[in-house]
Amino acid sequence: MEGYQRPCDEVGFNADEAHNIVKECVDGVLGGNDYNENNINQWTASIVEQSITHLVKLGKAYKYIVTCAVVQRSPYGFHTASSCFWDTTSDGTCTIRWENRTMNCIVNVFAVAIVL
Amino acid sequence: MAQTHGSKQQAQRLEQGAESLRHGAQAQSRENNVSLSTVSHADEPSQRDESSRLTVRMENTYQLGPTKPFPVATVNHILEDVLTTYLQEAQYDPEFCRQMTKTISEVIKTQVKELVIPRYKLIVIVYIGQRDDQSIVIGSRCLWNPKSDTVSSYTFKNSTFFALANVYAVYFE
Repeated sequence: MEGYQRPCDEVGFNADEAHNIVKECVDGVLGGNDYNENNINQWTASIVEQSITHLVKLGKAYKYIVTCAVVQRSPYGFHTASSCFWDTTSDGTCTIRWENRTMNCIVNVFAVAIVL
Repeated sequence: MAQTHGSKQQAQRLEQGAESLRHGAQAQSRENNVSLSTVSHADEPSQRDESSRLTVRMENTYQLGPTKPFPVATVNHILEDVLTTYLQEAQYDPEFCRQMTKTISEVIKTQVKELVIPRYKLIVIVYIGQRDDQSIVIGSRCLWNPKSDTVSSYTFKNSTFFALANVYAVYFE
């Protein structure tokens, strides 16, 4: 077991790596599309599903929570905030903000460590 | 000039990617990371305190499940109380709602912590949006243990805006 490394030996959650992964997922699902009420449910589900699938492939010992809000672009306001009670040495979060001509997309990823 | 700047960032990104591959799962130093995303709204960046990165080694508990289940109904009641108390008489105003999302998420976290539920980590997300001719779809998906981890959700509406609060409870074994 010389090569074994405890998962929590890593220095916390790599937010930038997750940011890139999720941004690619959002680009893949929403890129080139205009806002469409018929498809929006499927798009939202695809984003969270693909994001979690790609995060799992990192092979790290985390539980993931991915939330996605797709808002039609308009003069009206939309706000979001989060607050966490966890171990800051191992757990982490990242937020992806994506927008095009017709809609905004905000994806939050929370990673919670499994074991000590 | 902007083109050159973008190219440099792109090159740095590629280099960091290669470095990540070489070091496997090792996390990169935060100072070297360059973000390519465009942020339209100026908001307070989520800076993490460097001292909080010190790793504290603790013994395993080997306790795979919670001693008592997470009280979803009680937390739902807390969500209803907090959202109703803070937003019942309010009219939509961008600055007020921006501040209120942060205040409400902190208040909800504090109140759920007061329930003293052992070994649960909490994540509170609050959305507030104006109610008018716009369409919003919010979805979430989780990778966790459905036997011990759970979510509590509540939606508040009045004539000018809606508020949605989610509490995710994740067991730490």
